[in-house]
Amino acid sequence: MEIRSLKGRFRVILYPLLVLCLIGSFKIVQLTVLQQDSFEAESDKNRIVEIPIYPARGLFKLEDGTLIAENIVTQELLIKRSLLGISKLQIDLLKEKVFEETRKINLPNKNGNPEEFILLAGRLTDKEVARYELQKDSLPNVVIRAKLRRYLPHGNLFSHVIGHLGPVDKEDRVIFSDRQYSYDAYVGKVGLERAYEQELKGVSGKRVVEVDVFGNQVREIERISPKRPSDITVTLNLKLQQLAKEQLNGRRGAVVALDPNTGKVKALVSSPDYNPNSLNQSELANSLSKEDLEDAPFFNRAISGSYPPASTLKPFIGLLGLEAEVIQEDTIIEDKGFFQLKEDGRKYRGWKEDGHGKVNLKKAIVESSDVYFYQLSSQLTIDRISDFLSMFGFGEITGIDLVTESKSILPNRNWKLGTMGETWFVGDTINIGIGQGYITSTPLQLAVSISALANKGKTYKPTLAVQNNFNPENYFEVFLRDVQHWDVIEESMISVIESWNGTAHNLYSEDSISIAGKTGTAQIKSLMDQELTVSEEYEDVRQNVRDRDHALFASYGPIPEPNLVVVVIVENGESGSAVAAPIAKKLIEEYQNEQKNEQTNPS
Amino acid sequence: MNRRTPLDYSINKPLSTDYNPLQYIVKDIPLFISLILILSFGLLMLYTSSGQSLAMVSRQFIYILGGLAIMTLVSHLKPESYKNILMHSYWLGFLMLIYVLINPAEGYSTSRWIDLGFFSFQPSEILRLILPLSLVAYLCRKESKIKFSDWFLTTFAALLVSYLIFEQPDLGTSLIVFTSGMIPIFLAGLPLRIIAFYLLVIAFISPYVWSNLLEYQKQRILTYFDSNVDPLSDGWNIAQSQTAIGSGGFFGKGYLQGTQSQLNFIPESHSDFIFSVIGEELGLLGIAFLFVVYSFILWRVFKIGLMAQSTFERLACCSLGFIFLLFILINVSMVIGIIPVVGVPLPLISQGGTSIVVHLLAFGVILSSKRPQL
Repeated sequence: MEIRSLKGRFRVILYPLLVLCLIGSFKIVQLTVLQQDSFEAESDKNRIVEIPIYPARGLFKLEDGTLIAENIVTQELLIKRSLLGISKLQIDLLKEKVFEETRKINLPNKNGNPEEFILLAGRLTDKEVARYELQKDSLPNVVIRAKLRRYLPHGNLFSHVIGHLGPVDKEDRVIFSDRQYSYDAYVGKVGLERAYEQELKGVSGKRVVEVDVFGNQVREIERISPKRPSDITVTLNLKLQQLAKEQLNGRRGAVVALDPNTGKVKALVSSPDYNPNSLNQSELANSLSKEDLEDAPFFNRAISGSYPPASTLKPFIGLLGLEAEVIQEDTIIEDKGFFQLKEDGRKYRGWKEDGHGKVNLKKAIVESSDVYFYQLSSQLTIDRISDFLSMFGFGEITGIDLVTESKSILPNRNWKLGTMGETWFVGDTINIGIGQGYITSTPLQLAVSISALANKGKTYKPTLAVQNNFNPENYFEVFLRDVQHWDVIEESMISVIESWNGTAHNLYSEDSISIAGKTGTAQIKSLMDQELTVSEEYEDVRQNVRDRDHALFASYGPIPEPNLVVVVIVENGESGSAVAAPIAKKLIEEYQNEQKNEQTNPS
Repeated sequence: MNRRTPLDYSINKPLSTDYNPLQYIVKDIPLFISLILILSFGLLMLYTSSGQSLAMVSRQFIYILGGLAIMTLVSHLKPESYKNILMHSYWLGFLMLIYVLINPAEGYSTSRWIDLGFFSFQPSEILRLILPLSLVAYLCRKESKIKFSDWFLTTFAALLVSYLIFEQPDLGTSLIVFTSGMIPIFLAGLPLRIIAFYLLVIAFISPYVWSNLLEYQKQRILTYFDSNVDPLSDGWNIAQSQTAIGSGGFFGKGYLQGTQSQLNFIPESHSDFIFSVIGEELGLLGIAFLFVVYSFILWRVFKIGLMAQSTFERLACCSLGFIFLLFILINVSMVIGIIPVVGVPLPLISQGGTSIVVHLLAFGVILSSKRPQL
């Protein structure tokens, strides 16, 4: 073969290959010189992993130092989500050998990050841990882990104040975007746990470690300790809280007690309640039955329950009457048992069939004459009522440090037009005069409004959690044209208990402290039958327990220097005086004893 | 090129004026030194890329010694004496390929390996160099002009073994073996008419071949076009090796200091992907050194080849040189991510006894073609 021909063919192969060599060299230069920085970063990202260190959640304490929410170590069993599908035998073995069929295993959702460890069973008992250790070799996919869980030593007592935690979800991640949560983190879902999530969480630290491709840690590069969150002091009074819960005794209802001089909430109970520990995975609890759930144990009636204020609104309407000069203190109205706008108009019936006779403002409050306030409110007009009540915080959230507070409804013409599409009728105003109709308020709102009466107009923002240097935060202040009017209303409210004809005279005893209060009986069903008397019609209504009237009592004491406002509502309790009022009195009395003890032997 | 005929050379050269025993043993000192250089470099890189495994390095070292012995032995033989053996070694390769297809070694997902207990190897790796040598030997079995039918016969021989490798299945190696078979055929003077005919045939049957590719083979080709297709497999490997080379920069992270390689982010870092370890730890400088040595070796090989006496020697050297270059190109291109992932080791560097021994055998053939005067 000709050497020259070989050289020709040699070049045919060589040159293309050289071009490829050039392309390759160019690419190598590009990688190493031009893109070095980005690849260096990429390579660091590969090997350097930051492992966050989460501090233990902040604690809740009462002002006397009692711990009401802490963190406890629990042992739990977990499984990697990707292994869930193939681990049926192991889970059966777990049920049989470790739990001895005594408890159910929550089989979690299979969808999600396959690398996530998900909880099979929390809060293992010592025996279960021991049995797990024995079976460990047959349960390679199930791992045990110790974890700090939130624990409320008082169980249900503070459920509606402290609230509970739950697994972090998408929404939480958006709301608390400035915090990093681990995939299995628990965040406050309601209550103070939610409101103070940022503070309780603390600032997480981190470990910077070098890992290999399998995720094994090779060495630690850096460690930043987490910042321990500060504990939160809760203003509640343990005794009052316990007493209120005990007095409600599982009935549906709520108790709010607060100090009108500071706005500190001393008791906040919503009944029924629930055990936050079971949701916090720190305690095994039976799941709630269907009947339990019908009573909405998770619903915080004290701040979210909107009830008609009923007769507890009468002092405010009376006060407006005086201020607007529609009535004088001694203006007398004839109460014949019903009120008519016109001669032949609809009869607005009072709760007392025969009427209260001649009533002035004081008697109208003491005996809770409906007719007096029908007539008064018809003269006041909704505009004035609505404006006046809004000064007392009706229709607005109080801004307490809980998250699920309801605004309730303070109606006016626009509200009705907007909500119902109807114009306002005088009849609507007349209903509002006795706290019925469209108006609603939460027990907390009512308590704040009552504290304005107790404090001669000045109120503080209701507060559950306080810092070291606590300053009461002004909420609103009502200025009257004539400050004497405060006393008129207060005297009437004292007489509700002290006067023989008062609706809450059952609370009266000679040696007990002086309390101002107002009963209320909130109708749920309208009694519209013009032929029957109110009591006859109600007999029929009360056959259904849930249609029975709500019992209310709004009060403060002791006079003359009130330090506690108490609002009690017992759903379908029927009698404000017999059911709700005694609870309020017990709380005020208990609080006085406490205060006295504290003064004699300060801790 | 000088126009002196080989005969002139032997006359003009004084007879053994300075007798050099080293020259006599290794036949070409520059080539030998650069081979030793690159083999030592390879051992160093193997040490760092294998997770500092002395066992792996000493094993490789033994293969290198064996390979060098074979190389030296072959280099002292006259090409005429082993030409026939080379020609018939085709059948040895062919039988080995048949054997792995019928009798796949246990523990491997594809039938590529022959397991001899103490040693396992892929016949296709031997074929890559045996095939071109046997084809050259066949084409040059007589001094007369190559017959027309021989072109088809040799093409068919290359196709046959490529097909057997394709059946293993190993598309990448099959293409490489076929290419290394076609290089000597082309160099030997494959007529243009036949080339045109081949191209036509390829154009017609390629759609059919594509539809017969296995899913993972298609996947590999697709990965090349879009490395986001399967980031956790081939695409991921390429991304990791690019990251390694890129993060090495100009000077590298230092010997034994590469995080990508020491923390096992680079797949197969001691074999096919050893180039990315070089890039990461020694940087562009290390790569440049490697390329300079490779270029020198190639220059030497082509020089020996183009100056060789017989057609067989010329063809063998040039083919082997091109195949050597082709392997470097394919391996480096794969590691830096400009071609799909194929199983080609970096010649003389990557871990693997077969590859080393066969390559050194090839260098033996090249050295034996060297005329003493050069």
